[in-house]
Amino acid sequence: MIEAKDLTKKYGDLMAVDGLSIGIKKGEVFGFLGPNGAGKTTSIKMMVGLLRPTSGTVYINGTDVQKVEKGTIGMCPQELMLWEYLTCKESLDLMADMYEVPKKVRDPRVKKLLNDLFLVEKADTIVSKLSGGMKRRLNLALAVVHEPEVVVLDEPSEGLDPQSRRVLWNYIRAMRDKEGKTVILTTHIMDEADQLSDRIAIVDHGKLIRLDTPENLKKEIGEGDVVDMKISDTSRNQDLINELAKEKDVISVVEINGRINIRALNAVAKLPMMMQTVERLDVQVADISVRQNTLEDVFIDLTGTGLRE
Amino acid sequence: MKFISIAVKDFKELVRDRRGLFFILLFPIFFMMIFGFAFGGMGENNTPHNIAVVNLDQGTINSTGSNVNYGNNLTAELQDQNYPQNNDVKLFNVTTTSDSNAKDLLRTRTVDAELVIPANFSDSVQSLINNTILSSTGQTSSANKITSTITISGDTSYIGFGVAQGTLVGYLSQYQQGIVTAITGAQPVQYINTSVQSVAGTSSFTEFDFLAPGMMVFAILLLATTVAAILTREVESGTLLRLKISKMRSFDLLFGGLIPWSLVAGAQVVILLVVAILLGLKWQGSVYSILLAIVIGIIAGIASISLAMIIASFAKNDRQAANLGTLIVVPTAFITGSFFPLPAEYVNLFGHSFQIYDILPWTHTLTALRSVLVYGSGWSVVSSDVIISAVLALILFVIGVFLFSKTRLGAES
Ligand SMILES: Nc1ncnc2c1ncn2[C@@H]1O[C@H](COP(=O)(O)OP(=O)(O)OP(=O)(O)O)[C@@H](O)[C@H]1O
Ligand SMILES: [Mg+2]
Repeated sequence: MIEAKDLTKKYGDLMAVDGLSIGIKKGEVFGFLGPNGAGKTTSIKMMVGLLRPTSGTVYINGTDVQKVEKGTIGMCPQELMLWEYLTCKESLDLMADMYEVPKKVRDPRVKKLLNDLFLVEKADTIVSKLSGGMKRRLNLALAVVHEPEVVVLDEPSEGLDPQSRRVLWNYIRAMRDKEGKTVILTTHIMDEADQLSDRIAIVDHGKLIRLDTPENLKKEIGEGDVVDMKISDTSRNQDLINELAKEKDVISVVEINGRINIRALNAVAKLPMMMQTVERLDVQVADISVRQNTLEDVFIDLTGTGLRE
Repeated sequence: MKFISIAVKDFKELVRDRRGLFFILLFPIFFMMIFGFAFGGMGENNTPHNIAVVNLDQGTINSTGSNVNYGNNLTAELQDQNYPQNNDVKLFNVTTTSDSNAKDLLRTRTVDAELVIPANFSDSVQSLINNTILSSTGQTSSANKITSTITISGDTSYIGFGVAQGTLVGYLSQYQQGIVTAITGAQPVQYINTSVQSVAGTSSFTEFDFLAPGMMVFAILLLATTVAAILTREVESGTLLRLKISKMRSFDLLFGGLIPWSLVAGAQVVILLVVAILLGLKWQGSVYSILLAIVIGIIAGIASISLAMIIASFAKNDRQAANLGTLIVVPTAFITGSFFPLPAEYVNLFGHSFQIYDILPWTHTLTALRSVLVYGSGWSVVSSDVIISAVLALILFVIGVFLFSKTRLGAES
């Protein structure tokens, strides 16, 4: 469906996107996961033809993206891009008109969108008087009012409360399942990428690090659990990490934001061993928990850091 | 029709942005008032008016059978007139010359106005005298009523002309009356008509009468600043990006924007005309001239919006657009003569000499507006200026669309 080859974008000396090659299949939800400044926005802007790549090509259904028929793609930008002095309904009508949606189709569709995104009550409210979350939902609605084949969403859940986020997620799933749309989304929220995406591309420093399904990604670094530990004297973190790393049952030990993450198969059974090590080094545990391996752990494993905020 | 949707959107934004709207409408009114109070009483000064007299009078045979030339008489009279309130200063500074030479003098503003005495002038004066004598002795005049028309022409965009023609018209009616009173003391029938650029002018001009249309042009020019800021805001807020990936063409965006904004320009002409009249503008004309003035205003508006597109092609944010706009608009207003007429600057191109300010559409707008509002001229008089300004506005629009599309509507690089 969408074929990006060797996409590269240079801003001066900075390689914002570096040799990105991916193929996106029809009817899938494709997630870009990466920390701030990873090059997610830059990548998708090139993929929808808004930004000219320094080198590389993008084909949509075999056509160069610059020549693709307008209206094939709908894009929800990361920043709010709204007309402050129009109402929600007027904005949607305007975009529908710009995509040449006939009035007969437009009116029920706009009504449904307002309904689906819980904006009905605010249909006739001027945009500048909406709350931040409402603006975000409108921002999304404007991208899909012409029912494009490909929907590109740049950090769609930014600034949404948990409830609105659910609404959004359900909406995205419905687009795929009921309407067979191809959805590309970027996020730095692990949970979102995990729950929504059929496939995830992990990018950092403009490079594609891994591309796979969430399950495979999680499997790849082992099916272990994670023991997340904090000790009172964080200056001793490194000592403890060195000691724990020597244990043969431990798959990996990393420090994240002052906490120690220990990955091991069947971690609960390994807890006594870990506590012995702690006691041997004479450090106090301030806080400890055991949890399932998540995408975040995969991410940390791959990029060596937590999300840079 | 996507441009209609854009026009409706722009119109809503325009009306709902109260602060912006107030600025657009009130700022020029404020300027108009300052100029109205400052210059309302000026222009009635005591320096001789420079006029060129072209005497085409062929003379006539008077009742005693001798050959007389009243044209020469009128010329001499004009030369002899002094200011009523200051007897040492001549009213007119007369140069007698040929028509073509007079036009040259007008162009270089060596003279303020040209007075053409027609070939049958003496005949009409003689006819006036004869008939006056007849009617004073109780007989009805039967034969040869001869009328003639003295043409006063000049540059309507020039304050000197306004004052000079007003004085001339006043003086000529006095001259006619003088002839009659010399014979009988009765009221004369109109035998000598005067024609100022085809329509009668006003008798007393002030600076303000010249400045008021200038203020309208200034207000319309100022629109460029506002529209540039709005276009840039569309870029900044990213809404242009939304439009860019839609099926909208740049024509839809820019032509759609043109509609509400040029209507604002037309409205400004009306609002400012009302304000100017309240401040004492002695305007000539009718509903027809208002309509004509609105059309002229709309054309100037189109030129301003095109200028706005050019500015918005280069400005990075709306503040920059406003600053750059002011930087361009104010000098342009000066060049077009909105505040005071500038001395003409000629350049030679392809063997013809051009007034360089004539390349700006607003220069023609101003000439046309002045002619329509201050002299009450009709379409036939202003048509060439209106057409030229429309053509120039169109050229500017094409340049604006081209630049804006190129810099703002393509893929970023
Ligand atoms: N117009 C630009 N000019 C110069 N550098 C840019 C430009 N746009 C982006 N960059 C740089 O390119 C890199 C990638 O930016 P990008 O916006 O793609 O990141 P992102 O992954 O979307 O991050 P975020 O999660 O914060 O949205 C950053 O280092 C950024 O500073
Ligand atoms: Mg981004």
